Amino acid sequence: MSNLHNPASPFVPFSPNPAIQSGVASPTTPLSISQKTPQLGSSNLRYASSRKSIYDRHLNRTQRSELSKASFAFLFGEMIQYAQKQVSGIQDLEKKLNIQGYSIGQRLLELLLHREGRSAKRETRVLGILQFVAQTVYRHLFGKPADGLEKSRDNEDEYMLIDNDPAVNSYISVPREMSQLNCAAFVAGIIEAVLDGSLFPSRVTAHSVPTEQYPMKTVFLIKFDESVLERESVMPNN
Amino acid sequence: MSSTKAARIGEEVWKTRIDKVNAELVTLTYGSIVAQLCKDYEGDYMEVNKQLDKMGYNIGLRLIEDFLAKTNTGRCINFRDTAETISKIGFKVFLNITPTVTNWATDNKQFSLVFEENPLADFVELPDDGRAQNELWYSNILCGVLRGALEMVQMQVDAHFTSDVLRGNETTEMRVSLIRIIDDELPPGDD
Amino acid sequence: MTFYFAIIGTKDNPIYETEFGTSKQGGDGHARFPDEQRPMNQFILHSALDIVEEVQWVQKELYLKTVDRFNNLLVSCFLTAGNIKFLLLHDSKAEDPIRQFFADVHEAYVKTLMNPFYEVDMRITSTVFDSKVRAAAKKYL
Repeated sequence: MSNLHNPASPFVPFSPNPAIQSGVASPTTPLSISQKTPQLGSSNLRYASSRKSIYDRHLNRTQRSELSKASFAFLFGEMIQYAQKQVSGIQDLEKKLNIQGYSIGQRLLELLLHREGRSAKRETRVLGILQFVAQTVYRHLFGKPADGLEKSRDNEDEYMLIDNDPAVNSYISVPREMSQLNCAAFVAGIIEAVLDGSLFPSRVTAHSVPTEQYPMKTVFLIKFDESVLERESVMPNN
Repeated sequence: MSSTKAARIGEEVWKTRIDKVNAELVTLTYGSIVAQLCKDYEGDYMEVNKQLDKMGYNIGLRLIEDFLAKTNTGRCINFRDTAETISKIGFKVFLNITPTVTNWATDNKQFSLVFEENPLADFVELPDDGRAQNELWYSNILCGVLRGALEMVQMQVDAHFTSDVLRGNETTEMRVSLIRIIDDELPPGDD
Repeated sequence: MTFYFAIIGTKDNPIYETEFGTSKQGGDGHARFPDEQRPMNQFILHSALDIVEEVQWVQKELYLKTVDRFNNLLVSCFLTAGNIKFLLLHDSKAEDPIRQFFADVHEAYVKTLMNPFYEVDMRITSTVFDSKVRAAAKKYL
């Protein structure tokens, strides 16, 4: 086993909610009473005559586009290298990667639902949002749904998303043990953003649980906030 | 090798030997990297450019092996050959694009790559802070990649963007110049 | 007809606001809120948020239609996947045109969000975004 894997506890605890992390810039002002319609700043942005702006570009143009896995792998590898220079310790590193995954998850959530068009539905139940992650999100990212979704027998607020062979791992050309944890932290961030954004606040942590059959098996442990359980308990059963 | 032959090889390799991934994942990942750098360097875009170039350089050093293994391309006979290989095969098998090679210098040691498409820059609009559009080269990582990759095949080059649609220019263009052929006895330059 | 439109972020913070008048039936597209009305508009939208917070757990659609009324004014709401609320204050029922308006704004919002330099809950200051919203208003409302 890698020396990064603490045998006393198979779980790697961390996972801050970036939204409440100090220093995250998020200029918010309470709904204020003003006398005039707020003015927009005048734009200083220049546009190429051919390109206009991002608003003129079709959102679904690259929906089915593909790039090489290697491109992702190389970029991801540099993301890890860069993060490593700034932190001391594997937990901080995973925090950083979680944050980068988080910002991607926030965008994916809106993009995927927007693409469903008029039939798009927001998830209002725990099972619903988990299925969304395990099926829709996972398929979009990795071309296949997650391998399993389980509810913890011991804890009401915990669920496990299982990936027997994370596609992300196979991209990376850094030491296997290290890469597994890192990639998983990134994906955990994506998942956490989707859950948080949908108003199912949670902490998502990644754990490698190798088996004979699946040496790269990864479990994403999803621990929901109390508020989620409370709300779920008053929902009508169907 | 001729441009058409290179294009054919690039297309063939792309179709048959490349594992693929959703493009948007790559675009979003790169976006996350650049945005993070801009935050970390507090808007010092010159520094961000440098970091992107460095990252690209690190990638290039490793990417070349991957490239050679997948494409079985032999040694390029001259710099013109190199240019075609880069644009029709290199960019094709990694980013599924084929930038146009133009503006050759008379000594055949400099050319431009013009990017009609740039998947790294999809959805992107530079910050409206009056500086980003004058200072940041969003896709600068590509310059580093070229530099690193070519260094591993004994070519010391300079690569830099001269224009970018993200900056309001009409085209996105990278200028590549051959500085020298690296002798086998000398150690490769490093950062 | 006069409209007041706001986009509210995840922390109940306004990230975009605008007003316009109808372009239909000879309207010139200019808002006609009397000055005293404006503070009320924000108050009305703000209290509509409380209702949205309940309705969103009952209705799964993104378009919540009319969620609240205040005297002669109606509040219609569209809720994105990431809990961003589009609130429109208007004075007569127009379910389908409003749905179409929201759909266009939704697209513009997602494009805004896909930009790596934009973060959730930031104010939207792009003049192009603003012109897209106004164009949608002109087209449907």
